[in-house]
Amino acid sequence: MKTTCIIVEDIKIAADFLRKFCEKSDLIEVKGHFLNVADALEYLDQEKVDLIFLDVEMPGANGFDLLDRITYSPMIILTTSKTEYAFDAFQYHVNDYLKKPFTYKRFLEAVRKLQQPGPEATPAPVPQQAAPAANQPADTEFLFIKSEDKLIKLKKDDILFLESMRDYVKFVTPGKSYITYSTLKNMEEKLIGPTFLKVHRSYIVNITKIDDIRGNTIYLLGNQIPIGKGHKEDLATRLNIL
Amino acid sequence: MSNVRPRFDFDESLNAAFLEELFEGDTIYAETVFEDFLKDLPVYWERVETAFNNKNLPVLGTCIHTCKTLFGYVGFTDLQELCQQFENKCSVNTVEELRIEYILLVQRKEKAQHIIEKEYTRLRLFNEDNG
Repeated sequence: MKTTCIIVEDIKIAADFLRKFCEKSDLIEVKGHFLNVADALEYLDQEKVDLIFLDVEMPGANGFDLLDRITYSPMIILTTSKTEYAFDAFQYHVNDYLKKPFTYKRFLEAVRKLQQPGPEATPAPVPQQAAPAANQPADTEFLFIKSEDKLIKLKKDDILFLESMRDYVKFVTPGKSYITYSTLKNMEEKLIGPTFLKVHRSYIVNITKIDDIRGNTIYLLGNQIPIGKGHKEDLATRLNIL
Repeated sequence: MSNVRPRFDFDESLNAAFLEELFEGDTIYAETVFEDFLKDLPVYWERVETAFNNKNLPVLGTCIHTCKTLFGYVGFTDLQELCQQFENKCSVNTVEELRIEYILLVQRKEKAQHIIEKEYTRLRLFNEDNG
């Protein structure tokens, strides 16, 4: 099955090249092309795609604004002609970064990298949560994660937040952090419930541990977690903010 | 008689090696891109001029950024670099400080546009002859 994508790009020549490369590769199906972030977000409210080719500098909101507002986690390939965005790209955990203009060879390299089996495509090597015995309810008070060749039992209540690190997830507890091979999307499914909430493309927080919120930042035992624009409303609802 | 399609040699002022890699010998697509460039550049450049005349440096930087990308697709990698430098200066300099560089940039753009007009015609004729 082909990977579905949209192109968010305000320059026609650049968008046409991308569309041509997608067709030529026979790996990617282009579902739409949007000239700005607002139109792309409107589409993404109705439809989900696997991948977004995202320009950074566009009229109105920029590509990073889309990443702040989007409410799910598709794969992202940033397309820009400014190398200065590389650091931001890293912080937003985008899958790849193509400097315009780029050749078909470079495009294919980026696309093939996405299609290599990773934690999204295949199950994680070790189950992150203890499997319940047959006919017995799972113990929802803790989970097991594989970290440093050990299966570590973590009490859910001890977890402060989870941070996406591309193909890995960092679990942060008051005294220690653990890194495990998985994705935030996987974890979001496993931690479903009243305690945990995704507040940013790269962060899930334990809302019972929040000390305070200032602007778009959550303060939590000395840690600062950004709040994505697309997650603000969910957070306000969950915290019962008046 | 050989069926091998002859090679199109891009103008020496363009980054021919990059264009070869970008178009992979697809001169029909190259013709389309050069045509699009000639249609799009005047539209974007008008925005550059408006921003400069209005002394709106943030908008000027953004418009130059767009033109920089366009120049890249037709092989003007040196002009791309010049645009990048100008774009960077838009966030630290005043319009008056940038005036001379702006005039030079306009001259380079005029020259580039003229080269692409000629290249577009050459590509069109090449494709007609070898279509």
